[in-house]
Amino acid sequence: MPTEYTHSELMAVSGARELQDGQVVAVGLGLPVVASFLAKQTHAPNMTMLFELGVIDPEPVDCGVGLADPRVWYRARVLSSFVDILGSILHKGRVDVGFLGGLEVDRFGNLNTTLVGDPKGKFRHMIGSGGANDIASCAQKTIIIMRHEARKLRQAISFVTSPGYLTGGESRAAVGLRGGPSRVITDKAIFDFEPESKEMRLLSIHPGNTLDDVLSTMGFAPRVPANVPFTEPPTAEQLRLIREVIDPNRMYMG
Amino acid sequence: MSKLTTLAEAVASIPSGSHVALSGFAITRCAMAFAREAIRQGLKGLTISQCVGAMDADLLVGAGAVDRLIYGGGSLDRFGRLACVNRGIESGALRAEEYSSLSIAFRYLAGSLGLPFMPIRSLRGSDLMQWIQERTGSDLASVVDPFTGETWPVLKPLLPDVAVVQVQTADADGNAWIAGPKWDNTEQVRASRRAIVIAEHVVTGDVIRRYPEQTAIPGLMVSHVVELPFASHPTSMYQVYDYDGSHIEAYVEATSSPENLKAYLDRYVYGVKDHWGYLERVGGLERLSSLRADPDRGY
Repeated sequence: MPTEYTHSELMAVSGARELQDGQVVAVGLGLPVVASFLAKQTHAPNMTMLFELGVIDPEPVDCGVGLADPRVWYRARVLSSFVDILGSILHKGRVDVGFLGGLEVDRFGNLNTTLVGDPKGKFRHMIGSGGANDIASCAQKTIIIMRHEARKLRQAISFVTSPGYLTGGESRAAVGLRGGPSRVITDKAIFDFEPESKEMRLLSIHPGNTLDDVLSTMGFAPRVPANVPFTEPPTAEQLRLIREVIDPNRMYMG
Repeated sequence: MSKLTTLAEAVASIPSGSHVALSGFAITRCAMAFAREAIRQGLKGLTISQCVGAMDADLLVGAGAVDRLIYGGGSLDRFGRLACVNRGIESGALRAEEYSSLSIAFRYLAGSLGLPFMPIRSLRGSDLMQWIQERTGSDLASVVDPFTGETWPVLKPLLPDVAVVQVQTADADGNAWIAGPKWDNTEQVRASRRAIVIAEHVVTGDVIRRYPEQTAIPGLMVSHVVELPFASHPTSMYQVYDYDGSHIEAYVEATSSPENLKAYLDRYVYGVKDHWGYLERVGGLERLSSLRADPDRGY
């Protein structure tokens, strides 16, 4: 039975599928929040969610405008601090998955949330790092979720706010960083990273898109294996949870 | 010893050019009444620090009170960006030293412990590292771990002249409780030479002594205590009042251009005598009552 769903819903479901029960997950703003709550309410009830400012395992009943909104701290098990969450848990090495959104990403999974333009000339300043650089540097792995557009998936990004595999190969390990990005989830496809070169590699294409749809809307050519499957669509139950329980006001799923 | 005073006197204790750490995070527990009074008193040349840039810093930058901002990036969450901060960075008028949340928290932590520097895993390989080195010259360096031989980035401690912290509850000595997450506030206060506590409610010392495990800020670090309701308005104060969404939207609109910002400052900062005048200007008791938090939800 075919079920209608939006790009955002498929992104959230694809993100949720990457999370496993029992994992400790540091969650950034936006779609990662929806994906994490979805995982927790389906296959990963024992996952631990962290927000950088000092929140562990909240159970919100109202949708918030961001991490600073007390709505998203509701029924948390711990309310503490940056040093506790980003220090004792993340920096110590206890975070299994960091879940981040971004403005721009390059083929090595380096992420920009700082500025668009030329950092030495004319540019527009955006948000900056917050905890994103810390999460990308210290988590065992990171999942990146963002819109699929040529101006976002770029050959050269304006600024490396949060490190992916830097210039590829062993360059990330060489500066003393563990982990690295494991997935990039867009509204057209899912990518992983080729183990040697650390270049983005097409893993699956979302139903309704062709290979050309995916490649023609990117600023660089990812690695493409001989056979690329379609992404598994959301189940009716996943869609019900997103629409009725997690984001009924369509704040993130807009 | 009672340190109770007025907001005007507490602000007057801060000379222009001081380094002030602010307690806000995006749109929550921001030192808004402090920022408005500092602007009215004409403080200039401030250095502001906080882990995540918030509305208190943005207003001070917009009013021209800030030369230097040490922060980890920031926004007004879904309401918008820090338009005044961003404009300052883009034009070069504001010297912004931009880190990550944990780097600033570690700089405060090093300052709070009296340590000479703090190693960190973050920042490596990023353009943030290069930007910080270009803009500060010496606040980020590296050392070789004497035990393992591994090279680590190290951060200089942050030592603000004063931390200005919005809290729910304090006594007249400055022993203060912070309900909800404290983000960087406890390290900020401990790294600073002194703190100004602005409390929604000042209670007797007996109340503090009954639940001393809740005390986040020891009075010995505090120079001034100010009791003011709704002092974080239009940002939220967990368990006391919610953010004022329509006012924050008006602020975002106002900060979209320097002309609109001037009208906003004239209306809500220069155009009122003090915080009481501001509260009347934003709608008085009728409006403010509608923001009161539900005790279960906390917002």
